[in-house]
Amino acid sequence: MNCEKCHKNHATIHITAAEGGVKRELHLCEECARQTGALSNFNFSIGNLLGNLMEPVKSPKVSQVRCPECGITYSEFKTKARLGCANDYEVFRSELLRLLEKVHGSIQHAGKTPHTVDAQIRKENELIRLKRDLDSVVKSEDFEKAAEIRDRIKSLELELNR
Amino acid sequence: MKVEELLSQSGEWLKGTGPESDVVISSRVRLARNLHRFPFLTVATPQVRSEVERFVRPRLEEGKLPRKLVYWSLGELTSVERTLLVERHLISREHEKAEGERGVAVGADEAISIMVNEEDHLRLQVIRSGLQLDEAYDEIDRMDTALEGSLNFAFSPQFGYLTACPTNVGTGLRISVMMHLPAAVLSKQMDKVLQSLQRLNYTVRGFYGEGTQPLGDFYQVSNQITLGKSERDIIAELKRVIPEILKFERQWRHKLLEDEPRRLEDRVWRAYGILKHARRITSEEATDLLSALRLGATLNVITGIPHKVLNELFIFTQPAHLQKIERKILDPDERDSVRAEFIRRRLEGL
Repeated sequence: MNCEKCHKNHATIHITAAEGGVKRELHLCEECARQTGALSNFNFSIGNLLGNLMEPVKSPKVSQVRCPECGITYSEFKTKARLGCANDYEVFRSELLRLLEKVHGSIQHAGKTPHTVDAQIRKENELIRLKRDLDSVVKSEDFEKAAEIRDRIKSLELELNR
Repeated sequence: MKVEELLSQSGEWLKGTGPESDVVISSRVRLARNLHRFPFLTVATPQVRSEVERFVRPRLEEGKLPRKLVYWSLGELTSVERTLLVERHLISREHEKAEGERGVAVGADEAISIMVNEEDHLRLQVIRSGLQLDEAYDEIDRMDTALEGSLNFAFSPQFGYLTACPTNVGTGLRISVMMHLPAAVLSKQMDKVLQSLQRLNYTVRGFYGEGTQPLGDFYQVSNQITLGKSERDIIAELKRVIPEILKFERQWRHKLLEDEPRRLEDRVWRAYGILKHARRITSEEATDLLSALRLGATLNVITGIPHKVLNELFIFTQPAHLQKIERKILDPDERDSVRAEFIRRRLEGL
């Protein structure tokens, strides 16, 4: 059965609601259910529930990763449809790539480039990526790799402050 | 310059002289830009908002820019004045309604305006009369490049100019062509136009942009895709699409003229009669009748009414304009009388 709202995804959430004494059934996909607020009355989502059951030691879900700069999560972005800062493009990179491909049919800028500070911005983008990598490397206890990344971060920060 | 002074002039884009002005009212281009290192407005605290404004404002007022700009802080304006800026297409409805530090810098001929702290830190726009996409883009590009001299914009080599909403990322460029399509509407052909435009990834909006209803047969067609194409590509594609719509509208205009000349004449002259003699008129009715009159004027069903006058009447009969002209707050009933009188006078003066 397809979702009643988007008519695209498979309906995985089935809700029976009673409105004014009339019983009504709703069949939605998870995304639409979340968007319409149908899921907000629950403290868990089916996705989390399944995730907890099947992979007890799974790393935090993508939707719960917070941008260290602006503090928003990807699911918060999905509700607001607005990002919190420029770093989000690096922090939520893989999710955004999928979204951009859908919206624009492309993931690579082909237009104007500011004539200033191009090199600096490249370095800053790398810095954001490295900091994110560092977190996951530390969690997986790969300390050798972590030291390597930390060195690179230090030297980049020095270059950028100069 | 004060907001009121806008009443003694009208925007360059209203003069109705640009290319294809029988159908195209205006060409608008806008660029979305954010400042490097500042959070987007989605999460910005009041302090950050005022920091952005304090940082940007002097740079917009600086004399070195290609156009001299006057800055208005929206918090210092009355709600009527802010609405007047919306009616002039100098700011968006959202910007008018929003709270916190925000403003707009406007060029003397109203062709260029830069909103500060709207959805993105900066929203630059240029409007020109008729179909002038390259000219409008050249002007905004010059301003953007000049601002780059003093402002560091958030940019990534992969994603381009970084915007709060990923639907604007990349070029940050939205081009909107405002068209008057009364014959397509009258002949019930608009659905066809809308459907084919949507298939080509263009959005169609009403007179005042996002979320507004088509008013007086005016439609704004804009590009949806901002990433993966250069600015010139986006313009080139629109330059292929718009002439198709123009051809379509003109064909239906001539068909109306040939097949049902009496019906057309009656509609136009009836509109003229009401506009010239009514004592009370709502904004909706005025827009509807002015639209019919504009169609009549382009087909020479009626002569002696310049496009400039008609274009201006659409704007000057909006609520905030009338209240500024009368220098007092008017309730809707009073506005209807003032509006009728304003139109009557303007048409009598021709």
